Amino acid sequence: MAVLEGAVVYSNLIVLLAIGLTITYITTGVPNFAQGSMAIFGSFISLSLWLLFNIHPYYSLPVSFILGGGLGIAIYTLVLKPMIRKEAMVVTLMIATLAVDLILLGFLGAYSDTLAELTGKGTKKFIFTPLDFKLGGLDAILVVSSAVILLILFALFLLLYKTKFGIALRASMENPALAEIMGVNVEYTRLFSWFLSGSLAAVAGSLLPFRQEIVPATGAIIIVSIFAASIVGGLGSIYGALIGGYIIGMSESLITFYLSKPLGPSILLYSKVVSLIVLIIALIVSPKGIAGLEIWRKRTWRRSISS
Amino acid sequence: MAQEYLLLNIILWFSIYLIVALSLNIEYGYAGIPNFGRALAVLIGAIAVGGVVNRILILLLGIEGRGIIETSGTLKSTVNAMISQNPLLGLGILVLCLLIAALMGAVTGALFILPSAKLRQDYLAITLLAISEVLFLVSNYNTSIIGGYYGVSIPDVLAFVPGERRFLAFALLGVGIALLVYLFVERLLTSPYGRLLKAMRENEDVVKAFGKNILVLRIKTVALGSAIAALAGAFYSLYSVNVIASTFFRVDWTFFPFLMLLLGGMGNNRGVVLGVFSFVIVKVLLIVYKFEIKSTLHLPFEATWLEYILFGVLMLLILYYKPDGLIKEKPVTMTPPIKHALKQKAKETSGR
Repeated sequence: MAVLEGAVVYSNLIVLLAIGLTITYITTGVPNFAQGSMAIFGSFISLSLWLLFNIHPYYSLPVSFILGGGLGIAIYTLVLKPMIRKEAMVVTLMIATLAVDLILLGFLGAYSDTLAELTGKGTKKFIFTPLDFKLGGLDAILVVSSAVILLILFALFLLLYKTKFGIALRASMENPALAEIMGVNVEYTRLFSWFLSGSLAAVAGSLLPFRQEIVPATGAIIIVSIFAASIVGGLGSIYGALIGGYIIGMSESLITFYLSKPLGPSILLYSKVVSLIVLIIALIVSPKGIAGLEIWRKRTWRRSISS
Repeated sequence: MAQEYLLLNIILWFSIYLIVALSLNIEYGYAGIPNFGRALAVLIGAIAVGGVVNRILILLLGIEGRGIIETSGTLKSTVNAMISQNPLLGLGILVLCLLIAALMGAVTGALFILPSAKLRQDYLAITLLAISEVLFLVSNYNTSIIGGYYGVSIPDVLAFVPGERRFLAFALLGVGIALLVYLFVERLLTSPYGRLLKAMRENEDVVKAFGKNILVLRIKTVALGSAIAALAGAFYSLYSVNVIASTFFRVDWTFFPFLMLLLGGMGNNRGVVLGVFSFVIVKVLLIVYKFEIKSTLHLPFEATWLEYILFGVLMLLILYYKPDGLIKEKPVTMTPPIKHALKQKAKETSGR
């Protein structure tokens, strides 16, 4: 039972990250390799608030949400937008997000060392599990992460389907050129998607230390699961990311757990191998599920869309 | 002494990174394949030395011990003693290591690129990065392949060189290998094959229309590139006389090669040389003066983090301001047969 609970918590967090990755992919066309480090940014926000002001990580979620969104907007406006203006190729933009990932890693590492010196506590590795408590018989993290998912899905549903802004948003996701002709400012859509992506990542990051130990480089490891989840879901749809996130999160936790019974606990280290295998199976079996699989098309930004 | 150390460090890292960057230039610069998993081939080169050649030697010499980590330690001292008596043995092991690394690199590369049959550029880049990252994690955690994060020992193939000359000998050996690779790559890429790769990068349909099989071409290219990158991994392991899986981190062996390539200029090997050289000077200075930087700037953190920020920002600046790099790729020059044909044609038309 505890295994299943852990699997659900982990899947919830992967879903948050995969939705963020997918939504920026839909609006900007760039797979964001910095998504993992954006999550760890959130982990460090919660850690700092806990160590410096004694604020429990659950209460720091709104702060993570806002600061994470700010980070997302900063990445888009400072790095990607200028390059898109110059009609950079998609691969160039991907390399740019790799660079952003490295810069974030550098800042997180430097911050982690500084924080350790400031508080006199070892913060190179940290975990929040001791801070967790029971809520009606269940671990609070299970309740909180599920509540966050439900809340975010509900809010997204309201926003996308019940407001005018949502209609404009969906239109510009489906056909940016046409939406622009109809007077929708596509730029707002992009800004919004990067804000949302950053904030969801940071919220997931704030909760991740309840599940696993965090170091500044953790982002580089979880990126495999995030991409696997988004690609299994089809990269092009938010619902896909939701399903893909649960498929990857569940199979990573449960398959390794059941394999560990006959093969020994060392197998638990190979959870990312499961992600990779699921990813490759998904790519072979149903490349249709993966939106718009036009083989190896070289895409450049057209000015009509980008500016 | 300190200056000599600095210089040798620059030469050594220049050689190692030049080999990796040239291999990436074949794949990304010429063929346009976004190989975000370059680190994998380098790791394979290290596995060829630490996992395969080590085991061959252990079997041949009948060395006993518990596990590869411990046995490789015994192996190292035994073989080092033998090499110091017999230099030819050391050179033989060196050649064997490089050959096996290249072979394993080529096979891995050919398998590794297969997903490209079905995937678009961005999906392919993600998949390659994921494969490389996962195999890195496996070899890091599983201590029975190459000792994982504990690492295995490697015999010193230049054990016959006196200790104080060892660094110099390895630097020269590195330059030698890098030079051979450079000449080979330069010759290969100025051949019709190189032009075919550029054609594939620019427009695949044209290449297809000329009856070339794109997937076969890609498999060949990535096999070749990975074989070359594996050489760098093997040489690096032989130099450091151990293999520690955690040193084959994505930043060092995928991101930095991309940075050098883009800094120098893709699609031309002279640009790559310049890019690698400029990068390595900065990198080595940062490594050597790590502690001085930390203490003079009163940094409360490791200088490595500063290095990451610096190189990340540098990459963004290059991508934005100088996407062509320091030396811009030149259009394909006319080859002698084409020039000859044009001359003939000019003669014919003027004769009429």
